[in-house]
Amino acid sequence: MADKNEILEEHISSEYKYGWSSDIKMDSAPKGLSEDIVRFISKKKNEPAWMLEWRLKAYRHWLTMKEPHDWAHLEYPKINYQDIIFYAAPKQKKELASLDEVDPELLKTFEKLGISLEEQKRLSGVQSTIAVDAVIDSVSVKTTFKETLSEKGIIFCSFSEAVQEHSELIKKYMGSVVPYTDNYFAALNSAVFTDGSFCYIPKGVRCPMELSTYFRINTAGTGQFERTLIIADEGAYVSYLEGCTAPQRDENQLHAAVVEIVAHKNGEVKYSTVQNWYPGDKEGKGGIYNFVTKRGICLEANSKISWTQVETGSAITWKYPSVILKGDNSIGEFYSVAVTNNHQQADTGTKMIHIGKNTRSTIVSKGISAGVSNNSYRGLVRVSKGATNARNHSQCDSLLIGSTCGAHTFPYIEIKDKSAIVEHEATTSKIGEDQIFYCNQRGIETEKAVSLIVNGYCKEVLNQLPMEFAVEAQKLLAVSLEGSVG
Amino acid sequence: MIATKENKATIPAQLEGEFQTLLSKTFSSEPEWLKEKRKEAFDSFCQTGLPTRKNEEYKYTDLKKIFSGNFTAVHNESHALNFIPAPIAEGSIRLVFINGWLHKDSTLSSKLPKGVLIGNLATDGLLKHADFLKKNFSSNEDALSRLNDALWTDGAFVYVPENIRLEIPVEIIHISTGKKELLSSPRHLIIAEKNSSVSIIENNISVDTFAPMIINSQTDIFSGENSNVQYYRLQNDCRNVSLISSTHVKQEKNSHFDTNTITLGNEWTRNNLRIDLEGENCESHLNGLFVTNGTAHTDNHTSVLHNKPNGQSNQLYKGILDGRSTGIFNGKIFVERDAQKTNAYQSSKNILLSDDATINTKPQLEIYADDVKCSHGSSTGKLDEDALFYLRTRGLSEDSARRLLLYAFANDVLNTIKNESLKNYLEELVNERLEK
Amino acid sequence: MLTIKNLHAGISEKEILKGFNLEVKAGEVHAIMGPNGSGKSTLSNVLAGKKEYEVTAGEVKFKGKDLLVMSPEDRAREGLFLAFQYPIEIPGVSNINFLKTAINEIRAYKKMQPIDAKDFLKLVKEKQALVELQVTLANRSVNEGFSGGEKKRNEIFQMAMLEPTLCILDETDSGLDIDALRIVANGVNKLRSKNRSFVVITHYQRLLDYIIPDFVHVMYDGRIVKSGAKELALELEKKGYDWVKEKLAVGSGQ
Repeated sequence: MADKNEILEEHISSEYKYGWSSDIKMDSAPKGLSEDIVRFISKKKNEPAWMLEWRLKAYRHWLTMKEPHDWAHLEYPKINYQDIIFYAAPKQKKELASLDEVDPELLKTFEKLGISLEEQKRLSGVQSTIAVDAVIDSVSVKTTFKETLSEKGIIFCSFSEAVQEHSELIKKYMGSVVPYTDNYFAALNSAVFTDGSFCYIPKGVRCPMELSTYFRINTAGTGQFERTLIIADEGAYVSYLEGCTAPQRDENQLHAAVVEIVAHKNGEVKYSTVQNWYPGDKEGKGGIYNFVTKRGICLEANSKISWTQVETGSAITWKYPSVILKGDNSIGEFYSVAVTNNHQQADTGTKMIHIGKNTRSTIVSKGISAGVSNNSYRGLVRVSKGATNARNHSQCDSLLIGSTCGAHTFPYIEIKDKSAIVEHEATTSKIGEDQIFYCNQRGIETEKAVSLIVNGYCKEVLNQLPMEFAVEAQKLLAVSLEGSVG
Repeated sequence: MIATKENKATIPAQLEGEFQTLLSKTFSSEPEWLKEKRKEAFDSFCQTGLPTRKNEEYKYTDLKKIFSGNFTAVHNESHALNFIPAPIAEGSIRLVFINGWLHKDSTLSSKLPKGVLIGNLATDGLLKHADFLKKNFSSNEDALSRLNDALWTDGAFVYVPENIRLEIPVEIIHISTGKKELLSSPRHLIIAEKNSSVSIIENNISVDTFAPMIINSQTDIFSGENSNVQYYRLQNDCRNVSLISSTHVKQEKNSHFDTNTITLGNEWTRNNLRIDLEGENCESHLNGLFVTNGTAHTDNHTSVLHNKPNGQSNQLYKGILDGRSTGIFNGKIFVERDAQKTNAYQSSKNILLSDDATINTKPQLEIYADDVKCSHGSSTGKLDEDALFYLRTRGLSEDSARRLLLYAFANDVLNTIKNESLKNYLEELVNERLEK
Repeated sequence: MLTIKNLHAGISEKEILKGFNLEVKAGEVHAIMGPNGSGKSTLSNVLAGKKEYEVTAGEVKFKGKDLLVMSPEDRAREGLFLAFQYPIEIPGVSNINFLKTAINEIRAYKKMQPIDAKDFLKLVKEKQALVELQVTLANRSVNEGFSGGEKKRNEIFQMAMLEPTLCILDETDSGLDIDALRIVANGVNKLRSKNRSFVVITHYQRLLDYIIPDFVHVMYDGRIVKSGAKELALELEKKGYDWVKEKLAVGSGQ
């Protein structure tokens, strides 16, 4: 077996695969944040007055709030909001008529990401078809398959477009799950969000393909503040995928997104994320600060919201995709794999708020820590008074690789109903030397053995991902942990 | 230090003046080092003030409400008390304290093994063993412990020297009584040297409390190399009392520490229990049971710090909640980098009997070593319907079937008590409590 | 095939193998018997390259190459297979995925193309029948939830899949009932060939009723103290290990 130092050396040389920056002509706002910048963004996007009003309210509220530094198991310097560019868009003169008019550099960018903006089937088989909305820095650049979807009455477009074209829906739902007062970063996002995706599945429609958004931060010194809003009307179903990457840069970049999901009666939304923002280098220099608010509400009876996330990137991850189980018999799920290596810090988990009767929630969290990283699960299970027969089962496992990292579990369980059955289990383990040796004896080298074992350990979560994402996620896990075992 | 504007709200207004009064009167004859310690502690308390609910450790417990009354910390009246409870464990040595001061009816056996010191801190301890105390007096981090560091009046002092196994249990009884709103600050110090063993029962009760009382109690336990310490904390029927009971244990290598915290029928309780495993091969068992009803509030906080390799810790806390009561279990297992081969387990199990009862649990792990086995489990639910049904088919009434199952649930904790007479005593108490 | 000369090895500074010698030629089956604590398991672990074991002297040549300098995976890729006494469980890793990875790693080492998916599945089916392993391997994790017998059969199944040239069976018979023993032995017998050698480590003679060895060695206190033909096993069974110890005690007096 290779010497620990040797392998560490090797890992140091393993590079972030997505670390190029594209030379695309950008149209940016000046650095810093003020009411003027908020107005500038709104004007750039040609927004109606009500939208600007909402942004300003959020901005003024944000000014009264404090950056959270106390409760999460994270350490980061105070962020200088005057040093961030809040709006950067690829220069486009007019609406694009076809893909041929898209900046070729931009197309190359997405090719490198492995995303085809061409409207073609990515893999054989109808099921694996994916409609993509690509967001680069602040602006949605291309949404594919729009026509196919609109035949079924499905709306899938950029958030800006939705503000213009579907303002009634936006007015009705925006902020209904995550109000701008919710937390510091949600307030910030509400003031300065630049784009994102909007998705509406009408009554009784099962979305025939996976909907997907790819986010990429490109310009130096920018923050990315996108908003996603997904609505499944009565009996509707959609599976939504989100992927993220960013170039390698020495400075920390801020990503503060908001995702809201609403599921009506019998509606179901499955939201999968593979997060691979640049994590910083081996010294902990650079990397994305990922402060994200994701929340769904099962508004009516028999609805279901399921979050699956594979978190391998970001210098700091602060993220708690949550479900409010308001409708009777509604179901919330959270499946998570979070990997931290080198100096990465993750404080992630979920909140399951049981309000309706006979609600059920499942939490499966797999944390993997390596290097000198810290990985925390933080989750809340709340059973409100009157939430009769609520059920929750939580399983939170931590895997430590090496003895210089930390793995932590902070579950909060609050129960106010006697009929609730809530179970939480957590374990901490390491990869067994014997398991590695067994693999070695069958001809499998240590690196590969680790990746095999880690993937096995995460299987319960990876199984929740759609096929294409699962393969990507497995590879990412292997890359993230390269060389972390001696 | 004068309270700054920001934290003024969280420092009871009368404290500053009362502390000065205590220093110049009650504590005036104390050695300088101790007075210095008190001042330091009071300053640092003033810097933070009472923890608010924004503090993660006090998320579910509101101290402001407790400390908002018109209480006084300056008091040293002796009380004539008709009722002193009978010993729980047969033949035990008893030290009785009332509102933080030694009661003269304490029974001290004269037949103690050579070198064993048992007495009260304020006179026996300070007069006869001041140097020793100076060496062994520790300061604590928690704001409430800091407040006790500043204000403590008296408490038990138990010293067991090397190689002595003290067979007789020591009962420390604290009684709250009277008509005045008081803040009492008892403090106990227990030292078990190398190869020694001792069993302590700390019992908090209230008798004729006609005004709301706050007890801010601190117990420090030092468990030396290869020692064996049993520490039982009983809190029974403290009416009109807000009881804050903090215990800080330091364990040296190969030591074995057992503790039980049993809370029955209290109105408002906050228990802090911190164990530092400072040597290799330490073993600690922390068990707790609380049975609550009415509007009772019971908050159990534990933290177990594994600092050295091969440590073992095991926690089992159970709660039965009725009425509009609230229960909290917040346990933290902390495993330092050096503490390889640690084996730590934590379990919190609760049953809610009423629609208005609340349980909040927060079992936490903070792990920095890789070769460890740590796990926790928490479950909250109702009684097993199948078991209930089974018992009823065997002829038990629903009521007695329910009681039987609840008793069995509680008994898991009581079974870990090694002192037989204490166990019997508690079994009876719990049974009585469950019948209510 | 395998030449072990004057091997000294141990764990945590305790010497367990004390001058072990063995020569195994292609196609031969050697049985190594010995009482508990004689160093049998240490031998298999040292040969497979478990890092806790330290070799202090001696040499091991495998197909002419120095085995001791190779990593465990390279030993496996060169054709050394150890059927573990206690096969470990690897949760979440499916048997099929595990085997496919192993086969392709070995093929890559031999500069061969990865195995075709169809061929692989055909091979699995064929070899599974060899050890009468009926469990659906695809959905189950490596050894997880397997009975003792299934674990041992899985080891032989893996052996069949990886096609090694030297197979070491470490107490494969332990914990097996008579039917399972027969199945495992049959599997091994079907794998016998003129190019493949076996070292069968066992405490009891009964396995050797099914796997007939060419040579039997008695191991005691870290070395081979007696070698003979297959009849030696029967003699040993009859007279017990004390017989060897006694003889050894007399012998050492010479």
